[in-house]
Amino acid sequence: MIEKPIIRVEGLRKNFGKLEVLRGLGFEVKRGEVLAIIGPSGSGKSTLLRCLNFLEDYQAGEIHFEEQLVGYRRDAKGRLKPDTESSIRRIRARMGMVFQSFNLFPHKTVLENVIEGPVIVRGESRGAAEARARALLERVGLADKVATYPTKLSGGQQQRAAIARALAMQPAAMLFDEPTSALDPELVGEVLEVMQSLAAEGMTMVVVTHEMGFARQVADRVMMMDRGEIVELGPPSQIFGAPESPRTAEFLRRVLH
Amino acid sequence: MGYVWQWQMIWDYRQVFYRGVEVTAILTFWALLIGMALGLVLGLMRSSRAAWLRVPAAVYIDVFRATPILVQLVWIYYALPILTGVQMGNIASASVGIGLHAAAYIAEIFRAGIASIDRGQSDAAKSLGMSYGQAMRRIILPQAVRRMVPPFINEFATLMKLTTLGSVLAVNELLHEAENLINNTYRPLETYTVVAIVFGLLIYPFIWLSQRLEQHWKTRG
Repeated sequence: MIEKPIIRVEGLRKNFGKLEVLRGLGFEVKRGEVLAIIGPSGSGKSTLLRCLNFLEDYQAGEIHFEEQLVGYRRDAKGRLKPDTESSIRRIRARMGMVFQSFNLFPHKTVLENVIEGPVIVRGESRGAAEARARALLERVGLADKVATYPTKLSGGQQQRAAIARALAMQPAAMLFDEPTSALDPELVGEVLEVMQSLAAEGMTMVVVTHEMGFARQVADRVMMMDRGEIVELGPPSQIFGAPESPRTAEFLRRVLH
Repeated sequence: MGYVWQWQMIWDYRQVFYRGVEVTAILTFWALLIGMALGLVLGLMRSSRAAWLRVPAAVYIDVFRATPILVQLVWIYYALPILTGVQMGNIASASVGIGLHAAAYIAEIFRAGIASIDRGQSDAAKSLGMSYGQAMRRIILPQAVRRMVPPFINEFATLMKLTTLGSVLAVNELLHEAENLINNTYRPLETYTVVAIVFGLLIYPFIWLSQRLEQHWKTRG
């Protein structure tokens, strides 16, 4: 039996007013797969990622996560209707998200940031959540920063804390929105290392990134986007070795100098 | 010009000021409670993307900010009973009137405070699966409130001084008591000076506290 994909996108369209940002995308992500999304800025990569957990609404097409339609449901006649808030929240809680600008909660310590979701959303006991949070923070190399406030951390430390916060919800998949783009060059490595170890453990990951080295070495497949469309989708060996599309080749020539 | 200040006479009448302070405190407390509660609701409505929430809040805020509070108080005390049959006492009317008025300003403080919080914060809260209420209560408002403290203390000081308008509804607050006293003693300078000092003593501790709070939050980061 063929395993069902964890994320399935069909004919996805999204526009901001008259501006078409996503123009009919379709792809699948298998469980345990790492999909890297690359492409020039303004190509719709981040918007696509934000549609996956319905931080952004979409106008046409369908997104399925774990066999469930995201953001909509079908009424008796099979028409799409906006889904209930609680159902959308349940789906979001199953997808961890890591942002370019970290978005840690500045009024909470690192530990409080990490236990916030488990305690408030999942209703876990504080003790159990803290134990897991400490283990996660240890894992991302922040065991000594549990009581620190985010503003006192470097960008790399903040992003690792943000990854721990997302992992604390025990998500079925992780979405990364340019996780290293806001970092000083010398701090990029520590974040990529954490992501690489996650991938090695079999976490399903969708990563919007400008780190071509990461896409090449860690991703199972790479998706090249431009102007709201998928230009090319294939294994890194194809994308980086023998791109089928001249647009991919042109983009890579520019970013790889 | 030999004006002779007579403070002893004021001291002899100190009970009058004690009574006045008590009523002023009661008015301030209720008006603040109403203003805060309604202000929060209006501020959230005003921040909403849904027009059916945003527009009524905006109308309320504009109407109350654009018309004199004196008229609002008189209206609530004298006109409301005629229209609705609901007659409140003068202290209740003054509390409600000042509270409704303050709510318009407090709503704007809440709205501006919420708007000042980076959108990434609500994105992060939502991505963890939080509801709107959870995100507001746990993530957005705690941060917004810190930025709201200085304008809020301004509003508090204004509100406490607005309670003197209760005198037009014959509420025995500080100013009204003082005016009665002046009618008996003919010592307006001493009396008004004491009124000013008493208001200063009532308000200053809150200003001091807010400065301490800001300092505390600044050092913690």
